[in-house]
Order: sequence, then structure tokens, then C-alpha cells
Amino acid sequence: MTDAPSSPATSEILPVRLRGVSVRYDHRVALHEVDLTVSPGEFVVLAGPNGSGKTTLLRVILGFLPVAEGVAELFGSRLDDLAVRERARLVAWVPQDEAVRDDPSVAEYVRYGRYPYRGRFETESAEDLRQVRGALEELDLADRAHDGLLSLSGGERQRAVLARALAQATPLLLLDEPTSHLDIGHQLDILERVRLLSRRRGTAVLAALHDLNLAARFADRVVILSRGRKYDDGPPRDVLSEELLARVWGVSADLRRDPRSGVPYLLPHHRLVEPAAVRSAPGFGPVHVVGGGGAAAPILRWLVDRGYRATTGALHLLDTDAETAQLLGLPMAVELPFAPLGEEVRAAHRVLLGHAQAIVVAPFAIGPSNLANLTDLEPYAGQVPVYLFNPTPIESRDFASGEGRRGWEKLRSGGAQELGSWAALEAALHGLEAGRRLPSRPSPPAATPT
Amino acid sequence: MTASAAAREPAPVAIRAPRRWGWRAGLGLGLAAVGLVLLSPLVGSVAIPPQTVAQIVLHQLSGGALAQQPCAGSSASPTLCSAYVEIVWNERLPVLLLALLAGSALGISGAALQGVFRNPLADPYLLGLSSGGALGAAFLYVFQVGETEASIALPILAFGGSLATGIAILVASRGKAGSVETLLLTGVALASFLSASLSIVLLYNPIGSLQVSFWLLGGVGGATWNRDGIAFGGILIASTLLVLHGRELNVMQLGNDVAQSIGVPASAVRQRLILLASFATAMAVAFTGVIGFVGLVAPHIVRRTVSSDYRVVLPLSAVAGGMFLLAANDLAVSVVPNTQLPVGIFTSFAGAPFFLTLLYRHRRSTMTGET
Repeated sequence: MTDAPSSPATSEILPVRLRGVSVRYDHRVALHEVDLTVSPGEFVVLAGPNGSGKTTLLRVILGFLPVAEGVAELFGSRLDDLAVRERARLVAWVPQDEAVRDDPSVAEYVRYGRYPYRGRFETESAEDLRQVRGALEELDLADRAHDGLLSLSGGERQRAVLARALAQATPLLLLDEPTSHLDIGHQLDILERVRLLSRRRGTAVLAALHDLNLAARFADRVVILSRGRKYDDGPPRDVLSEELLARVWGVSADLRRDPRSGVPYLLPHHRLVEPAAVRSAPGFGPVHVVGGGGAAAPILRWLVDRGYRATTGALHLLDTDAETAQLLGLPMAVELPFAPLGEEVRAAHRVLLGHAQAIVVAPFAIGPSNLANLTDLEPYAGQVPVYLFNPTPIESRDFASGEGRRGWEKLRSGGAQELGSWAALEAALHGLEAGRRLPSRPSPPAATPT
Repeated sequence: MTASAAAREPAPVAIRAPRRWGWRAGLGLGLAAVGLVLLSPLVGSVAIPPQTVAQIVLHQLSGGALAQQPCAGSSASPTLCSAYVEIVWNERLPVLLLALLAGSALGISGAALQGVFRNPLADPYLLGLSSGGALGAAFLYVFQVGETEASIALPILAFGGSLATGIAILVASRGKAGSVETLLLTGVALASFLSASLSIVLLYNPIGSLQVSFWLLGGVGGATWNRDGIAFGGILIASTLLVLHGRELNVMQLGNDVAQSIGVPASAVRQRLILLASFATAMAVAFTGVIGFVGLVAPHIVRRTVSSDYRVVLPLSAVAGGMFLLAANDLAVSVVPNTQLPVGIFTSFAGAPFFLTLLYRHRRSTMTGET
């Protein structure tokens, strides 16, 4: 009895069908030749950066914006042919944040959703009451039915908005960033409820969402908009990719899969790079970082942020530094966990060292298993700049009974330069780039990057 | 609901509006209103015994069948008695009725405008609808027409003036800067422009400064049964049509887009309501001049005491507006003996502080989310 709105006849017809739809605001093109379909019972997420046309697209379907070109159909009818009231029986809307000014009760508010079903002189029908009650119960608001709308919490209020849209009993539901003001718990709650509804009632859902991970989790299909055009359209696992994020959002990220559900999720690791700091000059080779136990990770991130190419080694698998390097996609030499650095790995490490434009020795803890990292460096100390980065003194992290300290001293006497701060490191690399080797100059204490 | 139905149905959710002051306060206000209407014919510069007033009303209403001797039981001479009848029936009652009619027209217009503009500070006076109507009506005095023509031409000209103002506000709402705030400010600017224009027209008309003060400050003293009849017809039509839009106004409080998504053709309804409010205001202004703040105060009293549901706010604002103007007029008649002060003075005295309170409350509540 709940699937009354999607009778067999209407389920053959697509809830939304846009063909070559273009929309202009004055002369600016907001949407350009967008094709889009939404099938009954389907949960489609619209994603795209700010200004990509998500909201515009929703507003077209709601009939708020005229279509400049193309055909927009709602359940087989041209949008322009539908009266406001007819349309309200087909599509309900949950906006980003709804202005609630006067203070109706929750039940009163949900009843507003029955507007398109009642004539001016008709009283409330049994069906109206049933739908209102059903919507309140479905969203667990029955016990708050008599409370003022403004007394609800943010999560409850958004549930009330959803209940109002539900009471409209439409076979299509549009949501515009329905969760953007909510905490993560309520975000999941709202979207979970929407998905359940769409399954149970066969309601087609089209939602604009900023959060791609939520999109991947809930959507049957993701439609990516970019600058008013459709960029991609398909199931989340096919659409979401590192490349997509880089191209459409200009964000670098890693794509992972939730091991339980197989749902893709994205881990963005992009931070703004100052244009002046991007080291794209040809001929400037990678900066190699020798580390271990997490000492190299901040330096690697720091280098990548500033646009340097970086390599690292020799590390142990599962070590924090190794994981960071893997996430950043950096070449490295890796040994099995806890094993002393083997001959093969050291050879690989030497290849990386040989390509380096500069070598940074991270303040890593030196033990018998990775002592070779220091000794292998000795031949390079005279050839390329080697920076011994030691914000913490070597004595405190020598666990190789003095061998570490001896190796460190050897490097220093061989021409390696000790740097005590990030600022000094930055200055040194800058100088290197400019083709001259700067003596470590006194520099103001700089904030260490996180 | 039967027991079996209750068993089948899921836990029933009784649906009612949030409580305000409760029925006691409602009953109190209702009784006060009835008392006000009953006592108002007694108020005036001539003291007439209450019993005589009652008998005169009864006598006239029944066409002479009841209370055949209106002044029986009092010591009034036949001459005095006929003067009493004249005063009660041809002065006080038309005035009472006009105060009720004009007040209700302003009250319901205010409620509709506050709903349309989603702003509790909207009011036919502040938006310039009243001044527009008065300006229209004032042209009548420029052209100097006879009494009969005037009673027909006056409401038409007033309507023209109010309507033109309403349309000007609507045109402003169609442009790019059609936000609610812009509309309100447009109205406020129009209102002062129109008041200034009205002053000029009235200052250079042959009737003189008495009329000027009447139009600018308003009054119900010019009431006759004829005028009341015209006002009654116009206001009844406009009010009935306005009251029918309660549900639309409720939904429109959610914003025009949401209203449209629910099926309310918001911009069409907005236009219709502004025109109807202009018409109702014009009906009042045509006979009373510019009376301020009734349209502001009445809907607020209703919202505070009864409900903010526009299906209730609209009709009750008419009632509250009528009562407010009647009470103000009773004061205007009785405060200074033997002098009738313009009623607008009293509505403004009560309304302006009210307006300021609201303004400051409203500003605070935009932070806390209360109205």
C-alpha cells in the first residue's frame, strides 16, 4: 500500500529524463547540453565542485528555472506542460536549509506536504492523515509531532523536512545537500533513511552531495558535473577514481576500497601548493630522504607539498615512513619488517641515492638493522649535498651502541651539512635550486609543517 | 474512531497546533471585544443613558416594531429624544461600524502582507498602500465633485492609488533585487514619497487644512450608513478572498521555492494577495484617511495569543484590527471633552512603541531563531 505512487504504468516511464538541457543565467551558461535519466527506485547522486551546476540542475527539474535548450521530462511529461500543483505530486524537494520562520508544530509542518492533494474547499482526507502519520512515524518524529519546529535539533529538523517531502507522496525526491549542516552521525542517518525509503517505496532519488564518500556509499549511480557539463555517469565503483578527483576537483587523493562492502572511498591528501614553490624546473632531480620509524614521513610530505620530487629508503615494510611514501606514490627501497637491510635492498637504495639531487638524512632512530643506511651514505657525502636534519641530537637516538653516532660524525666530516630547523632545510634546498650552495644562514624559527 | 480501527491503525498521532495562551485568554479577549462593541455607542460628547441607547438601537433595528418608545424610562423630552435617536443611529452606529470595518480591512491586509513578505514589520501603512490610497482619494478634492458622485468616486480613486502603489511594489519584486528586504524598503520609500505628495495635493486644494489633517491622521467621524455600506461590500469581498489563502500563506512561510515545490504557485499568489490587500486597504482609506499601525498591531496580537497559522491569523486579524480601531476611536472621542481627535493619533501612539518593540525583538530573535 505504500507503493501507491509508483503504479506499474508510471514505473515504465522514467521519473527524470533530460536530453541536451542547457540553462543560462543572463549570458552565463550554467548547464550545457546535459543528458540525465533517473529510473524508478534509483538513488542517483549528483556530484561536482561548487558552481558545477548541481543545484541548477535540481532547480530545472523543480521547474524553477527555464530550460534554454533541450528537453526536460518528468514522468514522460514535458516540464513546461505541468502545472505547479501537478508537479508537486510528482516531485518533492528537500533543500539545503529551509527557512522556518513562524513556529508550526512538526505535524502541522508535515501536513504542508499534503497541499497539492487538497482543493481549496476540501477538508483533510483520511489519506492525508494516513500519509502525515506515516511520514512522522517513518522518520521517528511521532513523539515530537506537537513540538514546535524551532524546538527541534538540527538532525531532527532535517528529518522533519524529509517527512514533509515524504508526506507529498511523490515518486521522485530531490535533495540538495541535505546533510551539509549535520554531523557525521546525522548525515549517515538521513541518507540511510532516504535509501531505505527509495527501496521500500520505489521512490527515485536524485541528490546533490558534496561528500563523495557518502555518495559512493549510498548511490546506485553517480553523475559528475563539471563546469555545467556532465563529466561522467555510472556506478560509484566505475566513476570514482583518483583521476576524476584530480581532473574535476584539482585534488590528489588515494582511492581505497572498504574491505567489508567493497565501496570505494577517497582519501584526499592535497594541500594548496604556492605556485612560486612548485619545483617543476627541468633538471632538478629528486630529493632523497633517508629515514625510518616515521622520521622521514613529515619531511616527505613537506617536500611533496612544496612540489619536489622525492624518494626514500631504505625502509622496512609496514613502517610509518614506508606507508607514507606509498601513499604519496614515492619510489623507495623497502626491506621486510624487522630484518636487517639485505644486500638487494641496499643495492636498490644506492640506485635511488645515485639519482638524488640532494639527500636529507631524517632524524631516525639508528639500530643494528638499519645502521647500513648511514654507512651506505658515506660515498655520496662529497658528491651531492647531504643534509643531516637533526632537530634532536644524534646521541638520543643512537641504539647501535655508538655506531650511529660514529657514522653521523663521519658523514659530517665528509662534507654533510647539519640543519637544525625546517627553515634551514628550506633555505638550503632553495639555494641548491638557484644553482648555488648557501652556507646555512641564521634563519628565524619557522613553524614546522604538520 | 472505533476500537477495531484503533487496533489496526498504527499509534495514532493526534494533530493539533502548539498552545499559546489557551482558551481562557481567548474567551477573555472575546468577551472584551463584545463588551467593547456594546459599550462604544455610549461613548461621545453627549451623555445618553445606556438604556435609551439600547432602546434606540432595538427600535431602529426592528423598524419600530420593538421598543416603540425609545426614550421610555428616561426624562428626555420628545425633542431631546429625537436628537438622541439622531446621534445614536445616524452618528455613533455608523462610526462604530466604520471603525470596525476599516480596522478589520487594515488588520487583514496587514496579516496578508506580513505573510507575503515573510516579515512581521510589513503593514499597509508602512508599505505606502495607505498613503497611495489617500493620495488617490485626495484628487477628488482637487476636482470638486458633488456628494453623490463623491461616495462612488472616492473608493474608486482610493483603490486606484493603493493599487498603483501595490503594483509599484510588485514591479520592484520582479526585478533582480526582488528580495523581501528590498520590497519592504521599496514600500517604505514609496510611503514617505506618497505622504509628501499627499501633503502637497491637500495643501493646495480648496478645502483647507481641516481636510488635510483628517486625511493625514485619519478618522472615522465622516461615517454615514451609505459609506458604511460601500465599505462593507468592498471589504467583505476582499477579506473573504484573502481568508481563502491561509494555507498558501502558511506554506509560503517556508520560502517561495519550497512553497512552489509543494505546489503553491508562489509568485502568482503573492501578486494576488498584494492586490487584494491593496483593495481592502483602499476601502478603508477612502473613508477614513490614513490610519497607521492597525495592520501592524492586529496580526501580532493574534499570533501571540492564538496561533501563527494563517488560516486563523487572517480572519482573527480582521477582528482584532476592528477592535483596535474601535477602541482607539472611543479614546479619540472621549479623551478631550467635546472634541473629536483624529483616531490616527491614538493608533500611532499605541502602534509606534509596539513597532519599536517588535523591531528589537525581531532583531534579537533572528539570532535565536524565534519569532
